[in-house]
Amino acid sequence: MIVLIAHVGHWAINLLYVAPLVVAVGVLGYQARKDRRGGARGEPAVRHPPSEPPPA
Amino acid sequence: MNRRRLLVLCLAGLGTVLAWAPASALAHGLVGRQDLPIPKWLFGWAAAAVLVASFVALAVLWPKPRLEQAPERRVAGVPRFLEPLLGAIGLAFFGLVVYAGFAGSQTTTNNLAPTAIFVLLWVGIPIASLFFGDVFKAFNPWRAAARAVAWLAAKVSRGGLPAPMPYPVRLGRWPAAIGILAFAWIELVYSGRGDPSNLAVLALAYMAVQFVGMSLYGIEPWNRYGDAFGVYFGLIARMSPLRWTRTALFVRKPLRGLTNLDIVPGTVALVILIIGTTSFDGFSGGPAWGTIGPDLTSLFGELGLGPGSALELAFTLGLVVVVLIVGGMYRLGVIGMGTIDPQGASTQELAARFAHTLVPIGLAYVVAHYFSLLAYEGQRMAYLVSDPLGTGANIFGTHNATVDYTWVSATTIWYVQVAALVIGHVAGLVLAHERALVSFDGDSQLATRSQYWMLVVMIAFTSLGLWLLSAANA
Repeated sequence: MIVLIAHVGHWAINLLYVAPLVVAVGVLGYQARKDRRGGARGEPAVRHPPSEPPPA
Repeated sequence: MNRRRLLVLCLAGLGTVLAWAPASALAHGLVGRQDLPIPKWLFGWAAAAVLVASFVALAVLWPKPRLEQAPERRVAGVPRFLEPLLGAIGLAFFGLVVYAGFAGSQTTTNNLAPTAIFVLLWVGIPIASLFFGDVFKAFNPWRAAARAVAWLAAKVSRGGLPAPMPYPVRLGRWPAAIGILAFAWIELVYSGRGDPSNLAVLALAYMAVQFVGMSLYGIEPWNRYGDAFGVYFGLIARMSPLRWTRTALFVRKPLRGLTNLDIVPGTVALVILIIGTTSFDGFSGGPAWGTIGPDLTSLFGELGLGPGSALELAFTLGLVVVVLIVGGMYRLGVIGMGTIDPQGASTQELAARFAHTLVPIGLAYVVAHYFSLLAYEGQRMAYLVSDPLGTGANIFGTHNATVDYTWVSATTIWYVQVAALVIGHVAGLVLAHERALVSFDGDSQLATRSQYWMLVVMIAFTSLGLWLLSAANA
């Protein structure tokens, strides 16, 4: 543990490269959750393509 | 101006400010040997911001398909003698490379073969293909030789030659994918890669395999699906605004050629291999592999392997793992896309449908990782053309040319690398958006929604690419 903390500067900088990905996945997850809640309330989550009429 | 356009402009402005604000704030802070005004990880954040801004801009400003049906225009005729002439030049150069490999100096830098194969062919041709179209097809030595033999045989037999077998659909681009993996293994793992005579033997072996493939399935089908270099460079050439046929030159929108790529088995594997093997090249030059590699090598050594074999096995394992990680990243993105896709397409189907979007990323990785190789090692061609065997000859008077390591700075190389990665991933987003629009009959809202996960994949590949580059340059 001490070694890990002592060298935190070496590996922590690598985590900064992952930050944009974590943010993007977080936003996507939030949006998906919001969509699911909207779906549960009966709001259409997506519009259907013109060639494919929504199911009755 | 409607509200959506205003929102896009605001986001684009914000992205620009975010990307440049730290630069001005930390302009005095010089980082590393590359003399950068901001830390390297901040380039990753800026690149991600550019991707998000591009995604939003596509959603609003690109509501209808623009590439898939875009017409191409014939701009010039091509003389009939050009194709055999270029083929003869390609074949002669291939012969010279092989001869130099066998008969020349066995010092890597004094022989034409290593530089011609690892720099000119592997890095130079993809970049040339982006700008000038499928140049390799014109110079392809085994295709030229096979066409000459086929022409002669047809004359001698007076049309009595048997027709080749139909190319098996299930084979698809798998032979090409295997060929790319084999080449990458030789380049990154094989300990004898710097030996010109080994390279000459391998070049002849590859040519022999191509002859077998072409004689079984026909010259053009094999070149289209089986020849690793022909297929790889042909994929890159599909991004080019130029398309050549035997008789004419056509101009089209950049990236247009990729939208009608026929997805056959092995296509996804091929593009993943291009990205994955290049990633391993970057990874193996960084500190992480510097820790893992020696441990793995000593482990294999303890299991009874010799030092050389243990090292090769460790690198082989690293190569395979990195390729699998890259493939896994794409797979995860596609699975995520499947959860949103209202048409309920399978993961396999979605992976194939969007495979062409990885081609610009593959080229971006190649440019980012090998630009310095081309910029520095490529200069060796100046003296190698005069002295291909390393025997002291001076055919063109350039024997005394040297490699100038100062003509392009490390800082410039970093900016080229970042620009290549960002442009490549934005191009990937454009292709994915276009394909989604076509898939959903032009419904831009649905298309955008289905591409959320593709945006995540692009951000992941950009972050990975920049991390690998920063680690390798550290």
